[in-house]
Amino acid sequence: MTDSSDLELVELFQKGYEESFNELVRRYQEKIYWIAHRFVNDHDKADDIVQEVFIKVYSALKQFRGESSVYTWLYRITVNVALNALRKQRIRDFIRIDEFFETADDENEQPDAILEKNELQKLIEEAIAKLPAKQKAVFILRYHEQLPYEEISHILNTSIGGLKANYFHAAKKIGDYINRAHRTHEL
Amino acid sequence: MHIEHMNYDLMDYVTNRLNEHERKRVEEHLQNCAQCTAQVNELAAADTVIKQSRVEGPTSFYFAAILPRVRERLVSRRRSEWHASNDLANIFFPLAVSVLLLLLLIRIPTDSYSHSTPSDALHQAVKDFNEDEVVQAIEKEYAGVSFSLNLEVAAAGVAEHLQGDKFLKSAVSKQIENEEIAEMDVEGMISDLNAEQVDQVLSGLSERNRI
Repeated sequence: MTDSSDLELVELFQKGYEESFNELVRRYQEKIYWIAHRFVNDHDKADDIVQEVFIKVYSALKQFRGESSVYTWLYRITVNVALNALRKQRIRDFIRIDEFFETADDENEQPDAILEKNELQKLIEEAIAKLPAKQKAVFILRYHEQLPYEEISHILNTSIGGLKANYFHAAKKIGDYINRAHRTHEL
Repeated sequence: MHIEHMNYDLMDYVTNRLNEHERKRVEEHLQNCAQCTAQVNELAAADTVIKQSRVEGPTSFYFAAILPRVRERLVSRRRSEWHASNDLANIFFPLAVSVLLLLLLIRIPTDSYSHSTPSDALHQAVKDFNEDEVVQAIEKEYAGVSFSLNLEVAAAGVAEHLQGDKFLKSAVSKQIENEEIAEMDVEGMISDLNAEQVDQVLSGLSERNRI
């Protein structure tokens, strides 16, 4: 089964071979984890996204018709789940500042972890976190995942021209953010 | 002379992602364009910094455990789906969105507003849990800048209404029991929202300039 193509695995699953889903998970789990991590910059949140992605994949595999490649489809689900997680985070952030709700102070990094974290990495994470959702998704898929624009276009349902513009603006904003941080540090 | 800049290809140029033909085009352009050259230098500096940063990944044990955990969640989800009726879910989740939105909307900064008794209309609307009326009443109060809302009264009113509904009672009892709605599992409600419902809540908040 490890030699089967993605599409063959899906077809096997649709014929009732459950084991083929396991192979898809093994094949893509690291990729999906890293995409998720780049969106949320947090292991636990990335882990939640990974779990949710594979549960969605399992539920939808029977309906997969091969209109796009399997990995494009998986990436699309991952990006949607990750963006949804970020939107939920906005609601949580809105609540958290209000003392009326005493929600658990979840997943925030402990001070020690923040101190230990590579400062440079933290800077990049902040810069990416500040990007608008679309630019963030394009930057992650193009820069980190090195996907061709044609694939990203299928995943995000956006024209290639629009993707290139988003990619440029995202990279420029990250560069500007890093420069500002350096200047502030020098001062 | 009008120069067509090549901004949108520059990051791919910097990261060596262009084909031979595209790369030559950019290089020819750069020879005569100081603006794009400066842009390339900035992007290259950013690329260098990004490349230097490294994220520590999880161990191989983590990845080995993903599949068993997904399988476990699939089994438990099947069990819970078997127990929950679709009708209940169809009613509960839209209601959860409404309640969540209401909870978020009544989160008015107290330092800007007085602490007087809520208006009768607002009090009644909350008590009746008619969402439209609640929103209207809140907006009316908000427009008058004399907004005030006794959250406990509102919470008790909503909780009372929810508990009074025989169909919803079983769905929400785990969340509110006999406690005020302030102690509802808001985090759980947010986690359960699907993408469409998240958008509803966010657009509801953004329409009222709350987020």
